[in-house]
Amino acid sequence: MKTEKNLPRNPSSIKTRFAVKFLQAMNKMNKRKNPSTSMAVKYKRYQFIRAAATSSMASAVGPRRAWSRAVLRKMRNHTAIHRFPMNNKTRTTRRFPITRRKRSSILRGNPRQEDDLGFGQEDDLRGLVPGGQGMDFCRLLSETAHYIKCLKTQVQVMTNVLHHYST
Amino acid sequence: MGSEEIGDRRNNSSFLNCPSSLMARNSISDNVARMSMCSEMNPFYSSGWDTIVSGDQTGNYLGNSCMVHENEFGNPHYQVVLENHTMGSSSHLVHFTSDSSLLVDMVQKIPSFGSGSFSEMVSQNSEDGALGALLNGKRKRKNVEEEQQKDQTGNTSELPKEEEKKNVSNKQAAKQAKSNSNGVEPSKEDYILVRAKRGQATNSHSLAERVRREKISERMRLLQELVPGCNKITGKAVMLDEIINYVQSLQQQVEFLSMKLATVNPELNVDIERLLSKDLLHPRGGNANAPGISPGLSSSHAFPGLPHGTINGFPGTASVVENGDVEIVTEIGILVSSNQELKHLSGITGFMGWPAGIWWILDVERSKFETAPMHHEDELVARGCSMRA
Repeated sequence: MKTEKNLPRNPSSIKTRFAVKFLQAMNKMNKRKNPSTSMAVKYKRYQFIRAAATSSMASAVGPRRAWSRAVLRKMRNHTAIHRFPMNNKTRTTRRFPITRRKRSSILRGNPRQEDDLGFGQEDDLRGLVPGGQGMDFCRLLSETAHYIKCLKTQVQVMTNVLHHYST
Repeated sequence: MGSEEIGDRRNNSSFLNCPSSLMARNSISDNVARMSMCSEMNPFYSSGWDTIVSGDQTGNYLGNSCMVHENEFGNPHYQVVLENHTMGSSSHLVHFTSDSSLLVDMVQKIPSFGSGSFSEMVSQNSEDGALGALLNGKRKRKNVEEEQQKDQTGNTSELPKEEEKKNVSNKQAAKQAKSNSNGVEPSKEDYILVRAKRGQATNSHSLAERVRREKISERMRLLQELVPGCNKITGKAVMLDEIINYVQSLQQQVEFLSMKLATVNPELNVDIERLLSKDLLHPRGGNANAPGISPGLSSSHAFPGLPHGTINGFPGTASVVENGDVEIVTEIGILVSSNQELKHLSGITGFMGWPAGIWWILDVERSKFETAPMHHEDELVARGCSMRA
């Protein structure tokens, strides 16, 4: 009875998947050499942990969401670039493609699709959410909602891990 | 069951093949029948038809635009499966398992079901959908009105055919659009059928605009529930500001936590299951822990050039930088001010909102590191300043 309580309630939720992958990455990192903790090493570890958090979150979500696909694509490109630095074809950047709605409204000359109310908020949001460049506003909002949920769980898990490490 | 009671009009074969086990049991579904024209077909899915049908006592159905709820196959709920392509002339109507007395009413109401019940059904259903369905709905209404003007019983056999043809093409478009959007929304899907209210334009463009606006406002409502402290906010601009601030602060929190994790001395080979059980049994909110983090930061590994206890206050950072360059001071000033704004606006109290890069800004070995994170901080600053402009 007591041992049942120790198991996570939903073993396949995004939270547990992310926690497992993140901890695996941490273990892998800790298995490496353990030199003196100089600033350079700390900074490298910080970078690694940040990348591990983002990529394990994205892979826990899977390819069902546009933002997770964008993150995974970025990771793949990043590793490809680092391995084959001379190959420029692996870089795929999507910078502000004009979506269908914007094109039609531009052609007609009327700003019917104005949703950012002139403050540039829509562009800000696109910059924040990964993969937000190529979507229309409606889809951007739903991606943002899911992204916020996942960020929250990420923060929760990492706080717990940190707390566990420091006690 | 009731299949034998159906008149000759609906004798087209596959009506009668419905297994009785799939017949509706409850009162709502007594008026609704399940049509099994094709066994393999389920092109359209709808969840809203549950509520729609409940509003309609006689269970009238609009043959051309109903859709099937995918999840309910095999359930004892009623199921409505409609296949336009294979229907015969008058065959796109359902057969009912109710009494024969009801059947008589239904027969006579068939011509008019499009106008009355359809719009009722439609107006109750406000889920996401495709544009083609709008045109579908509009054209359907027009056809039904034409029907009513003509001889009702005589021409019903012909008109449904025309409607079918038109609606087939419309449904194809709707189906494609729907299947496109199916991957986006995990929730139940169908297309929106909107009726123009009194005094509103019925232009297809304005209808589409209205649909789009409804979608967007629905998403904004969802986001309002996600972002804390946004219950009283009305208005898209302020709401978007809050959302952007919240996302930024969450990202900063992640960076901060990863920085903290990097500085903590790790235990080797942590047992994952043990950690998991502890993690999920004693969850701690990220914000609740934050006040504990920042004093902890000052007490843990002392960074070179960083006096003890200076991180706790914003004014304290100025004293740290006396050895640094002028540009570092200005950078910190900007970062501090932007963070104060963010903190003020996002309403997340307790979390200092320190950007992750600040500790290595103060580091004397800063030149060795890449400047990529610094650019990220600059972007944040620039964005924060531009938002307030």
